[in-house]
Amino acid sequence: MENRTDTVSERALSAGELSSRARGRTAGRIIRILALVAFSLFVLLPIFYMFMTSIKDQIEIRASGALFPQKGIHLINWIYAWVTEPLHLFLRNSTIIAVFSTILVMIIAVPTTYAIVRFKVGGELLPSMILGGYVMPPIVVSIPIFFMIKALGLANKLPGMILVHTIINTPIAVWLLDSFVRTIPKELEEAAWIDGYSRFQTLMKVVLPLIRPGLIATGIICMILSWNEFLLALLLTTDPRGAQTFPVGISRYQGQHGLQFGEMSAAALSGVIPIYLIVFIFQRYVVAGLTRGGVKG
Amino acid sequence: MSSVELRNVWKMYGKVIACQDVSWKCEDGEFFSLLGPSGCGKSSSMRMIAGLEEISKGDVFFGEKRVNDLPPRDRNVALVFENWALYPNMTVYDNIAFPLWVRNMPKDDIDKKVLWAAKFLDLVDVLNQNVRGLSGGQQQRVSIGRAIVREPEVLLMDEPISHLDANLRLRMREELEQILRQLAVTTIYVTHDQVEAMAMADRIAVMDVGLIQQIGTPKEIYYNPYNLFVAQFIGEPPINVADCELLHENGHVRLTSDSFNIKFEQDDVDKLSCYTGSSKVKIGIRPENISISASSKPNSIDALVGFVEVQGERNVLSLKLKGGEEFLVVVPADVRPKVNSNIQIEFDTKYLHIFEGESGINISYQLPAGITA
Repeated sequence: MENRTDTVSERALSAGELSSRARGRTAGRIIRILALVAFSLFVLLPIFYMFMTSIKDQIEIRASGALFPQKGIHLINWIYAWVTEPLHLFLRNSTIIAVFSTILVMIIAVPTTYAIVRFKVGGELLPSMILGGYVMPPIVVSIPIFFMIKALGLANKLPGMILVHTIINTPIAVWLLDSFVRTIPKELEEAAWIDGYSRFQTLMKVVLPLIRPGLIATGIICMILSWNEFLLALLLTTDPRGAQTFPVGISRYQGQHGLQFGEMSAAALSGVIPIYLIVFIFQRYVVAGLTRGGVKG
Repeated sequence: MSSVELRNVWKMYGKVIACQDVSWKCEDGEFFSLLGPSGCGKSSSMRMIAGLEEISKGDVFFGEKRVNDLPPRDRNVALVFENWALYPNMTVYDNIAFPLWVRNMPKDDIDKKVLWAAKFLDLVDVLNQNVRGLSGGQQQRVSIGRAIVREPEVLLMDEPISHLDANLRLRMREELEQILRQLAVTTIYVTHDQVEAMAMADRIAVMDVGLIQQIGTPKEIYYNPYNLFVAQFIGEPPINVADCELLHENGHVRLTSDSFNIKFEQDDVDKLSCYTGSSKVKIGIRPENISISASSKPNSIDALVGFVEVQGERNVLSLKLKGGEEFLVVVPADVRPKVNSNIQIEFDTKYLHIFEGESGINISYQLPAGITA
């Protein structure tokens, strides 16, 4: 129907009007592309600059501000990055903490969200408290968390960091999952009960498969948040053999021998690549999760 | 299969009463319809039968068995939802087979049953398609397939065809009726569409504001409505209603208003002559029980033709009476009075209902044969 009115109106236009309209459309597209290119440059340039820094000569980094290396390509920074600091331990710690905290977050957040949506658990209060937990800056609770983790004997230990990241990411996961669970019609679950499933079976075998994109998106986002988390990791970990994570590790490159921009860049890129790859692979789920979150579907 | 009986069932959501003291029995194999406007308690009743909603007070029986405390999966009911509630990530086959493999039926038996249902419902060609791609009518049949494949004791249907467009709805209504007649399964059919209920059901329970208004065959409900609500809810075009006064005068009963003055002969009105309630009453007369009279007769009524709606095999006239009431009259297609002309009409007093002004109860209601007050 829409198509037909469109062609009719186009036929009614004179050739001149038509071409001016087409020109307008092209101009619009060019502006859009320019805007996107500018934005992409803004986002990607630092990363590109970081990569260029990582392959420059140490002296050149301080001497010149040029973007491209002038004195040949040097891979020494990449070697130093892994040797001067135990980068592999930072990455190991970050991986373990991100993976296990995300698993725990999902185990807690999925039934929580389901209970909030379907059983109205906590009435109006619980969802708004969860939102409160979501918007609160972690530094507000950093001191009590520090003392609690210390009292538990978990300071500078992987379980301690897993626990902390589970706690701070659970509200976010609930917030993200909420909109996905709400898209499942209640009747679908009722049909499953009548067809012979228990409530738990219905959750596991009917609801979860249907919100799989949401589960993946939420999981990825929680992993990214855990991977990037800096403040609490800085506060609760003291060395790489304990539980020091990648972001905290990066800050150590400005340690003993002054600021080592080249090594730092190489180390940072080493840690950014895995998370970028994950996001790249699951891109469409992450986008769905971020755009759907909090908005009723 | 079994009968379904509600005994003094109540449903309260907090302070809101959805069902008040509802009692009825649907016999084994009967097609029973719950009919009423939205919010009348019909869906709540059905959900209590399915076990999706707790029963606040009263009992539900399947045959001799009280099922109040059974969860839905142990009641062996099937429910066809308004939006069909098909599992969107599954094929037609999987959707129909779902209740069977939940019950761990052997694979060969499942195959046989699904195929039987698919043949029965004309779904064989689409068995391996995802349900998302199907038309509304097909999705509807899949949901019926899922419901009948495990031979439930009771088949519940919640407005199963109200989401379809008008043409398809008419076709599905006929198909559905055929299917259900062949299966002869006890069916409780919830609808707000009186035409559906009238066309399909063996018996209808009309509900409003959580109360049962009347239970009866479509014919009883149409010709012998218990109260004004039932009379107005059933019938298309709707029944004409007008306020008037009921007077007893030396052996006669007379209904008078600004618009009309109708005198009843004694033999028509046995039950009216013993009526002692308020003289303020309402009359109800269906559009097809009014005729246009050529000459003035004792009971004829003056009316002004408002408009004429040509419907093909019949015309619907909108008339204005002297008291201001607008009456609809159904006449044969060849009767086509001029707009704004004055005509005379006559009520077929055999079909004239008289409702008590306040309560709306039909004074002229006749108890079904065999039941005494």
